[in-house]
Amino acid sequence: MTLNNLLISNFRLHKNTELNFSDELNYFIGGNGQGKTTILEAIYYLCTTKNLNQNSDTEAVSFGEKEFSLFGKFNELIEYKTRIQFDIESNKKNFFINEKQVTRSASIIGKFPVVSLTPLDHAITQGSPADRRKFVDSIISQLSPAYLEILLEYNKILRQRSALLFQIRERKEKSLIDQLEAWTEILLNNGTEIVKHRMIFAEEFNKIIRENYLKISDQNEIPSLEYNFLNSVSDDDIKKNFNDKLDEYYDDEIIRAQNLVGPHRDEFIFYLNQKELKKYGSQGQHKTFQIALRFSQFFYMFQVIGKKPIFLMDDIFGDLDKNRVKKIGEYLKIVGQAFITLTDLNNNNNIFKSSNDKIIFVNNGHVHYA
Amino acid sequence: MILPEPLEILIEELNKLPSIGRKTAQRLALHLLKSQKEDISNLVNSLISMRDNIKICSKCFNVSVDDECEICKSPKRDNSVICVVEEVSDVIAIEKTNEFNGLYHVLGGVLSPLSGKDAASLKIDELVKRVSNSNIKEIILALNPDTEGESTALYLAKILKRFNIKITRIARGLPIGGDIEFADEATIGRAVLGRIILE
Repeated sequence: MTLNNLLISNFRLHKNTELNFSDELNYFIGGNGQGKTTILEAIYYLCTTKNLNQNSDTEAVSFGEKEFSLFGKFNELIEYKTRIQFDIESNKKNFFINEKQVTRSASIIGKFPVVSLTPLDHAITQGSPADRRKFVDSIISQLSPAYLEILLEYNKILRQRSALLFQIRERKEKSLIDQLEAWTEILLNNGTEIVKHRMIFAEEFNKIIRENYLKISDQNEIPSLEYNFLNSVSDDDIKKNFNDKLDEYYDDEIIRAQNLVGPHRDEFIFYLNQKELKKYGSQGQHKTFQIALRFSQFFYMFQVIGKKPIFLMDDIFGDLDKNRVKKIGEYLKIVGQAFITLTDLNNNNNIFKSSNDKIIFVNNGHVHYA
Repeated sequence: MILPEPLEILIEELNKLPSIGRKTAQRLALHLLKSQKEDISNLVNSLISMRDNIKICSKCFNVSVDDECEICKSPKRDNSVICVVEEVSDVIAIEKTNEFNGLYHVLGGVLSPLSGKDAASLKIDELVKRVSNSNIKEIILALNPDTEGESTALYLAKILKRFNIKITRIARGLPIGGDIEFADEATIGRAVLGRIILE
């Protein structure tokens, strides 16, 4: 799948910008604060209806304007004209595919797959377990609407259950304890489904990351991802171990009025040569790992849905040595269509450009082609 | 524009009603302004008469004119089966089907610790009393298939277990006349799980 044309209006610095893209690599060159990342943000909106960096929709509207609109033409078997409009006053976002309004955001899942590699990715390997769960959840939910629904449901159950635990701490009534049992059963059923999805994901992803890391790094390092839910091996294990652990923490959960057991406390651990990356990794190893994760996401999604996602890369060559930049540049040629921001071209002449690639200069919300 | 006060008051009152926004309220108010005086007094009287004459059934908490509702009083209904629902609107929906001939019990909501709805604020004690005092054979739980409805059903099943009666839950699945291809994944998934054997 490729994005061939994009029209941006009243979106941050871009008052009215029209862009035509190459099917292969597209480079956006410009200084800081000129509106390069904004173009990636616009593409991400059209693919997912969501904001790339989890900012609010209102912030994306140009200063002094009331609404933004984005218009893109995707090409796959047929052309898809997509349009997204957001209006500050009504705080409503409308999404259209070929001028037909799409109301359920779940119905576009997997339709316009996208992978983004941004400076915020440092959190995936260096941040908290929550950052890693977010990374994993975002991949699985882009591929499985069912997973997304289970996840939303699960979060609702957690909120209800912790409110109930709080009430029980205040007054230990029989009726509240009985209610807790009902909520625990739902937590158990729903949580088990989440763990099953995550286990399948971890197994598949492990194979892919091994291949991808080697293509980016010149050292012979072996990466891996470990996911473990209470030492469960089979599907039956998960529910049983989950249940046992809930029993074990029964009193603690009431004392602290918190949900202490379940996939919302899962950890995914990254290893490099069997050493835990978070503890022993150098800055360069972290950065390489983050890039390998996004490339792996790309190939994982390609494998599951059978079409190549669009790849967005925001300012990723900054802290890498020449050798790695060169390797990534070569690797980029096989990913399909990618959109890459750079602060200038001269420092990155290691990235090889084919005649099909496009170089676009971005200057204070205006664009011109090289 | 500042509206004349009596009109503004009416719009605000109508605006309090569920699913009536400011614009709809304004349209209704302007429509009433053009109506005959007689129509207006009929409307007002019907509102007052409803408030004065409608009670809540002391047995099942459905709407009623008398102390007991028409369904509870009817000799034709099977009084060994109780269908538990969240709201009066659910009774109306199930009655329209003509498929159910038992009695009802309106809980008045579902368990939701977040919004402060616990067992005591629902008609659960009353349900337990009904089950223990009469000759009930089956309880049908007809609650909405969401998280709160689910937990309420599990809770009720738990506390009614000791009476040794049949406790059932209404089936979930595909709508009649609907196409499988147009149903959402969760519904299809549930329908597959809840499949039945053809004799």
